[in-house]
Amino acid sequence: MSAAADNIYLPKLAVLDRVVDEIREVRTFFWHFEDPAEQRQFRLFRPGQFAQVSLFGTGEFPASLPPSPTETETFFTVKKVGSCTAALHALKPGDRFGVRGPYGNGFPMDNYRDKNLVFVAGGIGLIPLRSCIIYALAHRQHYRRIQVFYGAKSPRDLMYLATLRDWEQGAGVEFFLTVDRGDAGWSGNVGVVGNLFKKPGVNVPVTDTVAFVCGPPVMFRFVIKDLQTLGFADGQIVSTLERYMKCGVGKCGHCCIGVAYVCTDGPVFTYEQIKQLGEDI
Amino acid sequence: MKARLLPVADVLALVDLLRQRGYEVMAPFRGRGRDTFFDAVTDANRDQIQLHLPNPYYPPKRYVLPHIERLLRIHSAGGNWQIEPVYDDHKRALFGLRSCDVAGIWHLDRFYLGREFRDPYYARRRRNLFLVNLVCTDPERDISDECFCVCADTGPAARDHFDLQLMDLGDGELLAVAGTAAGEALFGEPLFRPATAAHVEKRHTILADVRKRFKTTTSWFSATVRYVSQGTIPDATWEAIGNRCLECGGCTYVCPACTCFTVSDRPVGPGEVERVRIWDACALGGFTRMAGGHNPRRAVHDRRNRRFFRKLAHYFIQRELSVACMGCGRCAAVCHGDVGMPSVVEMIRRESAAVDRLEPLKP
Repeated sequence: MSAAADNIYLPKLAVLDRVVDEIREVRTFFWHFEDPAEQRQFRLFRPGQFAQVSLFGTGEFPASLPPSPTETETFFTVKKVGSCTAALHALKPGDRFGVRGPYGNGFPMDNYRDKNLVFVAGGIGLIPLRSCIIYALAHRQHYRRIQVFYGAKSPRDLMYLATLRDWEQGAGVEFFLTVDRGDAGWSGNVGVVGNLFKKPGVNVPVTDTVAFVCGPPVMFRFVIKDLQTLGFADGQIVSTLERYMKCGVGKCGHCCIGVAYVCTDGPVFTYEQIKQLGEDI
Repeated sequence: MKARLLPVADVLALVDLLRQRGYEVMAPFRGRGRDTFFDAVTDANRDQIQLHLPNPYYPPKRYVLPHIERLLRIHSAGGNWQIEPVYDDHKRALFGLRSCDVAGIWHLDRFYLGREFRDPYYARRRRNLFLVNLVCTDPERDISDECFCVCADTGPAARDHFDLQLMDLGDGELLAVAGTAAGEALFGEPLFRPATAAHVEKRHTILADVRKRFKTTTSWFSATVRYVSQGTIPDATWEAIGNRCLECGGCTYVCPACTCFTVSDRPVGPGEVERVRIWDACALGGFTRMAGGHNPRRAVHDRRNRRFFRKLAHYFIQRELSVACMGCGRCAAVCHGDVGMPSVVEMIRRESAAVDRLEPLKP
């Protein structure tokens, strides 16, 4: 192996292809590696993994991988919150940045075969779950019922609109959508995402089911309670944790909570594990 | 007999020999006051090398993990970027390294070179490092009030992980033992004479005595490892520890076993950026703060809890096969709030024992 190939901190050059506005401060960045071999290697990622994105001169940040490995394009969906994400938002198509990864354990989708999959996403929590949902739908025969519950603050905060429409059309998925506050043009559900579980006509399977929960900390806590009320055990609930990270490879120590390094032992944990780690979501 | 003798008067000849072989030799020196520090040996300062002096606060860890280390040099070139790793392939010998610090470097080896990802910067520095361990034998000059290597089982004489070990036999001679083939190779030099069984016997006698000459500091790890791993330490104990932490980060700065770092990009010229890593400390408030301001570990006692959990939980000891505390006593020496390792271990042991109620097994 060459000196460069074994350097775990070395970002590989990526080219930004196009940018799509999702919602306020959130954009999807389609990109590819300059080196086609790198691209082939990277595309072996698993749903739930992440990558370190480098903006030279600003720094690096961990980003979820919203595409499914069954799709052809690679992209990140990123909210502008700090200096690195702002630097990514400032890039134009054709600009270069760095990517290294994929890192982390990802969701063990093979272990979930012949189970019902219930996805509960709040706001930009849909970003990491998008990968699993698309993956599960691409391997539809391996899973039983697939339900997606998605809640956002308002109709203007709904992401991946084209994908949502696909799911609404019911291609093998039961899709439920809600917003905290509607607007003039909104005729759908209003209320927090957990309220959907009790709606007439919604029947959430509990036996042989895995529930995926991703969203802001407040939403997470309430949805966990709702799922427990339905009869879910803590080991049936999985999520991905977000932590400040510098290296992504288990060395820098920032994401270490309890007995786990979120970057290498996670970011996917069951709620049972999360409770044992003993720290806020 | 594998052990050799080296006259104390020839110690500088050994240092010169290492320098001739292309090593930059780092040795502890005495500062202007009572301070000591590691520095590069030069023709000008070589005569000031001393065998017996207090172990420097600033640990020799920086020769494998510099306080600030360049990782990448990044140039912008006509709309594209060129990224080059910056490696340090310098040959270095650490002379007069105490046994706690030998264990510290071994712990860092386990952490940085073990598991799935190997750190390439650490690996290169480590590969070029030659370790000359000096056994602590002088209770006044070598062993500080805070030393507790006898509790951490790392000293006063390291058992392995050095290239060469020297021990002062007190009569103008040093007993030399090789720990690696590289150390063994030095024994071909005429500097070294064969040792006898009597010399080795003298080593045992001296060590048996030195072990009794440690000051009052003890660290009762075994009970504390159990309480930390069980998670049965009362919150009030962590809060009491946290209340005494001034969040200065000093304990992590002087620790030979702390591994955390942050990474930063800094401009170094037109179109040129350096990516550097810098030691970081879990004691500091921003350590877990994410962009956007969310910080899952806000309270100071959560952060103190973190440091001692990471060092003492059974899970990590098993993962690295090494406790992340070498008993060097530096944290105890620098901590203004007296929550260095020995004090914390004692607080946990005392206060957990008071509430330790194991349920009796049902027949």
